Amino acid sequence: MEHTELYQKLTDRLSKLEKFPRIKEEKSIATLMDEHGISRRDFMKWAAGMTAMLSLPSTFTPLMAQAAELTDRLPVVWLHMAECTGCSESLLRSDAPTIDSLIFDHISLEYHETVMAAAGWQAEHNLESALERFKGKLILMVEGGIPAGDSQFYLTVGPHGQTGQESARKAADAAAAIFAIGSCSSFGGIQAAYPNPTNAQPLSKITNKPVINVPGCPPSEKNIVGNVLHYILFGTLPALDAYNRPKWAYGMRIHDLCERRGHFDAGEFVQQFGDEGAKKGYCLYKVGCKGPYTFNNCSRERFNQHTSWPVQAGHGCIGCSEPDFWDNMGPFEEPLGSRLYHTVYGEGADKTADKVGVALLTATAVGIAAHAAIAAVKGSPKNDEE
Amino acid sequence: MGKRKTEFEFSAGLRWTHWIRAVSIFALTVSGFYLAYVFISPETSDEPVLFLNAKFRMWHEIIGFVLIAVTIFKSYLFLADRVSIKERVAFWDLVNPKIWYQQIMYYLFLGKHPELKGAYNPIQFLAYIGLYAMVFLICVTGVILYAHSYHEGLGGVLLGFVRPLEAWMGGLSMVREIHHIAMWAILIFVPVHIYMAIFNSIMGKEGSIDAIISGYRFNKTDKH
Repeated sequence: MEHTELYQKLTDRLSKLEKFPRIKEEKSIATLMDEHGISRRDFMKWAAGMTAMLSLPSTFTPLMAQAAELTDRLPVVWLHMAECTGCSESLLRSDAPTIDSLIFDHISLEYHETVMAAAGWQAEHNLESALERFKGKLILMVEGGIPAGDSQFYLTVGPHGQTGQESARKAADAAAAIFAIGSCSSFGGIQAAYPNPTNAQPLSKITNKPVINVPGCPPSEKNIVGNVLHYILFGTLPALDAYNRPKWAYGMRIHDLCERRGHFDAGEFVQQFGDEGAKKGYCLYKVGCKGPYTFNNCSRERFNQHTSWPVQAGHGCIGCSEPDFWDNMGPFEEPLGSRLYHTVYGEGADKTADKVGVALLTATAVGIAAHAAIAAVKGSPKNDEE
Repeated sequence: MGKRKTEFEFSAGLRWTHWIRAVSIFALTVSGFYLAYVFISPETSDEPVLFLNAKFRMWHEIIGFVLIAVTIFKSYLFLADRVSIKERVAFWDLVNPKIWYQQIMYYLFLGKHPELKGAYNPIQFLAYIGLYAMVFLICVTGVILYAHSYHEGLGGVLLGFVRPLEAWMGGLSMVREIHHIAMWAILIFVPVHIYMAIFNSIMGKEGSIDAIISGYRFNKTDKH
């Protein structure tokens, strides 16, 4: 699509959105920025950054700014499943209110278990009425893996004792767009790691609707907000990779844009943490960096207002935005060549034999007892058969 | 040939444990030789996920438990089962020098088969006692070896009991050696047992092999 054509399309979409009523009668984003000491210039710089992140030409910056201002037109429901709230923290815990977190405030957040003021029945009512009122319009963001099937009771929330699976499914039915925020809701995460005792499943296994995965443990605030802005701008779901991750964020590997890549190519490696190579900022491949197998934009966008990220801080990537990274990327501080494998037959040859042995010996004891009991009662009639 | 008289000689428990024991001895020998000499290697793979030795070890352990289970059950039958009284009374033939003499003469084709009180002739009974000694020995040494390859569950429970035995036998390598020697004793027993079973079937014509399958023996004359 030609740029002008796309520009026109996005302008139309935004002016249509602008006509939507504001959901909250609150301050505009401009006033909010003003109150928090963020100048229009800072805001426009941020908007330019987001535009570049979504791989749009810089002429689209005003549209991005307008999209950010229109974030209060779309109702958002944020559900917590089996998780640590790290993804919400990633968005909210910045040293000062960032533009990303302000936008998160500005969004019409109808329901968010950790930041809402309501509790108990009132909270439950908020969720129900939001799902009712904004049916087919709301943006659903889900954080956390979902214990499914027979073991869904492991996650039971609220006064109605609803399981996570039920509430996620209900919310998904009412949603216009669904985002799985973080590796847990994208791929199951740590609770789905071997041996997955609660049968935790990704959101995409719970609903039949398309789910956009925004994995990472946690994903950066940019990737979360970027997805909201992308939806506001385009009204459609972004181009996705094989794991339903937006290509604009997960299109390239950590390794491809790594700041230590030159050292990799030069064969300059940290051999162990704290050695001379580590001080010189050499490549962390030999101390377990999984950047070559991990698709994410950390090496470009970094974390905490673009301050730093694991590789910059001197530790290799652990591959947290890849499926089943707890099982597949370990050990985290050694190359994949040292990967640990699960033993044979799930539990190990000897453990299996032990269980069979216990069963057999128990059966023998039961057999002896039964035989003795029957013999005591019946006597021995077969002696007389002739 | 006169009228035949059927006699219920071997109970179902005896017959089942006999054949399960036979199959497990075969399977344990094959898997045991692998564990001892590791004579098969799987197709190579660059990932260590084949675990051929662990798989062999697991089946060896499982079938070992089968052997232990049938040995315990059969020992119970021998001691307490009513049909098995024919096995127990064979003890009186075993301590009878006259029966010994007649039996040896029979095997040398110099005399008639003695009339037995029990199910087994004295040489046969002695061989079975020897077999059971070896089976008990191989089971106990097997359990000692097992308790050292799995330290939880049953293995963990057993370890405390079998450790003194292990020390008494002279350490784990001796346990392994005794396990191996007991296997050879059993392996020598097996062909002799099969030969004698066929010999007695042909010479006795009383359906003595049939007895271990159907439980019934066909006596030409009243013996018991």
